[in-house]
Amino acid sequence: MSEEKRTGILLIGVGTMLTSMAVAGFGLGFFVDYWLDSQPVFMLIFGGLGLVGGIIKVHSVLSSLG
Amino acid sequence: MSGSSDGGGTVAYIQHHLTNLCVGDCDPVTHKAAGFWALHLDTVFFSVALGVLMIAVSWRMGQNLATGTPNGFQNFVEMIIDFVSGQVKDTFPGHNPIIAPLALTIFVWVWLMNFMDLIPVDLLPAIASGVLGIEYLKVVPTTDLNTTLAMSLTVFALILYYNIKIKGVGGYLKMFLFHPFGKFFVPVNIVMSVIEELAKPLSLALRLFGNLFAGELVFLLIALIGGTMAVGLGALIWFPLQVVLDLGWLIFHLLVITLQAFIFMVLTIVYLGMAHTEEH
Repeated sequence: MSEEKRTGILLIGVGTMLTSMAVAGFGLGFFVDYWLDSQPVFMLIFGGLGLVGGIIKVHSVLSSLG
Repeated sequence: MSGSSDGGGTVAYIQHHLTNLCVGDCDPVTHKAAGFWALHLDTVFFSVALGVLMIAVSWRMGQNLATGTPNGFQNFVEMIIDFVSGQVKDTFPGHNPIIAPLALTIFVWVWLMNFMDLIPVDLLPAIASGVLGIEYLKVVPTTDLNTTLAMSLTVFALILYYNIKIKGVGGYLKMFLFHPFGKFFVPVNIVMSVIEELAKPLSLALRLFGNLFAGELVFLLIALIGGTMAVGLGALIWFPLQVVLDLGWLIFHLLVITLQAFIFMVLTIVYLGMAHTEEH
């Protein structure tokens, strides 16, 4: 698979990837909080990590364009 | 325009068209799912019916294949197969005989389900209500989050399967340890990698659902122009406007449904391709 082609295709989903990672982080945190009865500690931590991870992911995909 | 002619108003009309035919554990007032054992019968019916249609047409074509000069429909199908096959060759590393048929199935099935959005919004619900006495009917399966999430979770299960098959359990789990912050932040890396993996099916499902749901809503709003404003002489202005807007949105939406089916297919190929490579 050519790297440029894969990067190009991943660019299609880069917008939703950012939001999805934030949502997935909050969701994962919500279930961990529900499990440990620790609302809203993990929801905030994992949500923040998801947002940061999303920004890193978007940055890496956009940077690989050259 | 059953909702507005009942005197239920525009909100009731839209709500009525956005409510699934729910059976099982459903709220008796709102008719929305109220528990795990709620089944959206219309979503299941239309998605299965379109799947059966796809299989039946493929089977019938397989029986009547022309090797010399193929007819128009066979040409069209071969063109789609060539297009999908080309995408798989371009974006998928190595060889896996399942990927191209999977991509083709996803593309055609999602496109067919999306295409239901182009049928006039009141036609099938009116027939179901008049002939079968069915009160609620939502005809576009991809405007139901259950459909898009089920498809993306199936793709996610395949991603997990091929990741473990190609890299081994240890190799796959190792990917979670050192990305993106290196060896000194292993707990943070694990959480971020898990979130990244979970975001893949979520983004696939939400993108398809969001685009099709919004498209259906625009069709409903255009339908309301004629339904609520076309009274007396006003119909001379509003009805042609509705026809023009509907036609415009229909042509544009034809592009949207094809693009969304293509995006779902091509991202599935890319994610499965990433599962087949050693680097991540």
